[in-house]
Amino acid sequence: MSTGQALPTAVDRPYKYLWLEWEPEFSVLTTRIAVKPIQCYSLAAMAELQQVFNDITANPGLVRHFVMASGVRDVFNFGGDLSLFVLLVRARDLDSLKLYARRCVDLVWWLENAAQIGVHTTALVQGDTLGGGLESALLHHNVIFERRAQAGYPEVLFNLFPGMGAWHLTVRKGGFAIANDMILSGQIYTAEQLHRAGLVDLVVEDGAGEVALDKVVRSAHPKLRGILAALQARRIAAPIAYESLQTVVEHWAVTALRLKDRDLRLMERLARAQVRKVGGAGEGAVEEIKKIELDTAWGFERTGLSEWSTLT
Amino acid sequence: MHHPAILLPDVTQPFFIDLVSRTDEARRSFETNPRVLRIVADGLSVERYRQLLLELYHVVWHFNPTCAAAASRLADQHSEIRYFLYDHMMEEKGHEEWVVNDLEVVGVRRQEIDQHRPSNALLAINGYNYWAADRRNACSVLGMVYALEVIASVYGGPIASAIKESLLLEDDRGISFISSHVTMDAEHMAELRVVLNKVYDSAAKEAIVESTIFNFEQFTRLLEGI
Repeated sequence: MSTGQALPTAVDRPYKYLWLEWEPEFSVLTTRIAVKPIQCYSLAAMAELQQVFNDITANPGLVRHFVMASGVRDVFNFGGDLSLFVLLVRARDLDSLKLYARRCVDLVWWLENAAQIGVHTTALVQGDTLGGGLESALLHHNVIFERRAQAGYPEVLFNLFPGMGAWHLTVRKGGFAIANDMILSGQIYTAEQLHRAGLVDLVVEDGAGEVALDKVVRSAHPKLRGILAALQARRIAAPIAYESLQTVVEHWAVTALRLKDRDLRLMERLARAQVRKVGGAGEGAVEEIKKIELDTAWGFERTGLSEWSTLT
Repeated sequence: MHHPAILLPDVTQPFFIDLVSRTDEARRSFETNPRVLRIVADGLSVERYRQLLLELYHVVWHFNPTCAAAASRLADQHSEIRYFLYDHMMEEKGHEEWVVNDLEVVGVRRQEIDQHRPSNALLAINGYNYWAADRRNACSVLGMVYALEVIASVYGGPIASAIKESLLLEDDRGISFISSHVTMDAEHMAELRVVLNKVYDSAAKEAIVESTIFNFEQFTRLLEGI
C-alpha cells in the first residue's frame, strides 16, 4: 500500500495525538496513535479517536478498511491512563472514573459495530500492548502481531481488572479458560502464545507487519461485502451487548475507587516504567510487570498446572 | 433490543475532570521529566536534598499568604472557595517549621535558610501566584493548590522513600515535611475536587487552568535546577 496520500477532506482534521494515512486504491484509513509521554488512552487521545470514528460514520462508503497502528516505536498501546486513574481514585471521583469508562465503551462499541457501517478493521500490533491496549486490538476483525510484541492484562496485579471489554472479547475469541487464565493471572504473553490461543490472527516477523497488513487488505477487498456480511452474522452468533459492557465498566469504576495505597503505588510504578519504554530504554512496562509479579509472589499461574501456561 | 447510537453522546463534564484533561500534558510532563524520574529512582545527594528543602521552604512560606490574598479578593458568590482556603490555610500553618526541622537534620542552620536566594523558577512560581490572585482572577489559586497537591500526593511518597534510602535517614527524621504531606494531600485532593466542581464561571475556570499549567511547568523547572 502506498502512503503519504492526501487525506479525504471529510476525515482531515488537525489531530494532536493521531496521525492519519490514506490509501485510496482500497480506501484504507490508517490511524497511528502517538500519545506523549505515555502511549496510553488518555481522555484527549480518546476524544480524537472518537472524532475519527464520527467522521467515518458520517461519510458512509468513504472508508472501507480501518487500520489501527501505533506511532510510537516498540509500543502499541499501554491501555488505560494509569496516572489519571490514580489521581481520580485519590480525589474519590467516581463520576469521572465512570465518565472515562463510558468514553472507552463508546469507542469499543463503534469498533464492535464497524462491519455494520461497511468498515473492515485491522489492528497492526508492532510492540507491547497491555490492558486496554490489548482490548482495543482484539476488537478489530483482524489482529496482526509482530513477533516481538507481548501483551497481557496486568490489572489484577494492582487489584483491578480490565473492564473495557476484556472478558467479552477474550472469551469470544479464545474461550473462557483462556480469558480466565489471562485476566486472573495478570501474566504477559508472547505473540506466538496469543496466536495459539486464537486471540491473534496472524504473527509475522519483526518489521514485516506493514507487508502483512497490505496482504490482508488486498485479500479481503475483493470479497469485502461478503466478509462484512459474515462478520455481522458473527456478531449475531456471538453477540456482545452494550448494556453488558456498561454494567462491567460501572463495576470497574467502583472497584477502582476501592484501591488501596499499595495498589496506587504499583500503578504509579508501572506508569513510570511505561515512560522508560517509550524513551527507548531497554526495560519498560512489560519488564516492570514481570518484576511486580515476582514481588507480589502470586504464583498460582506458575504452578505449571495450567494448560495455557504450557504454551511457551 | 435497544442500542444507543454509535456516536459519542454529548456529556457535560464536571470541572474537576475538565481541569484534569486540559492540564494533562503539563502534569505528565512533570511526572515523566527525566530529572524527576531519576530522583524517584535514585534519591538525592545530601547537597541536592538541602537545595530542594531550601526551595520548598519558600514554597511553603508563601503558600498561605497567596491563599489569603486570593481569599480576600474572592467575590461573595465564591464563599465555598473562601471557606476551603481558610481550612487549608489552618492546616498548612506552621509547616514551614517542618521544613526547617528537616533542614537542621541535614545540617542547614536557620541563618542559612534566611540567606537562601530562591531560584528563578521559584521566583516565577511565587510571583505568578501572587499576581494571579491579585489581578488575574482570585480563583486561580485553586490551580496552584491542585498542582501542588498532585505533586505531593503522587510524588511525595516515592521521593521521600528514595531520599531516605539514599541518605540512610532513620524513621521520618529529615523527611518529615515531604512524607507527611503524602497522606495529607491525598485527603485534600478529595476536598479540592468537591470545591472545583462548584466553579461555574468560565473566566474563573480559564484562570485555574492557566495557573495549573504554569505551576506544573515551573515546578518542573525548579526540580530540574536541583
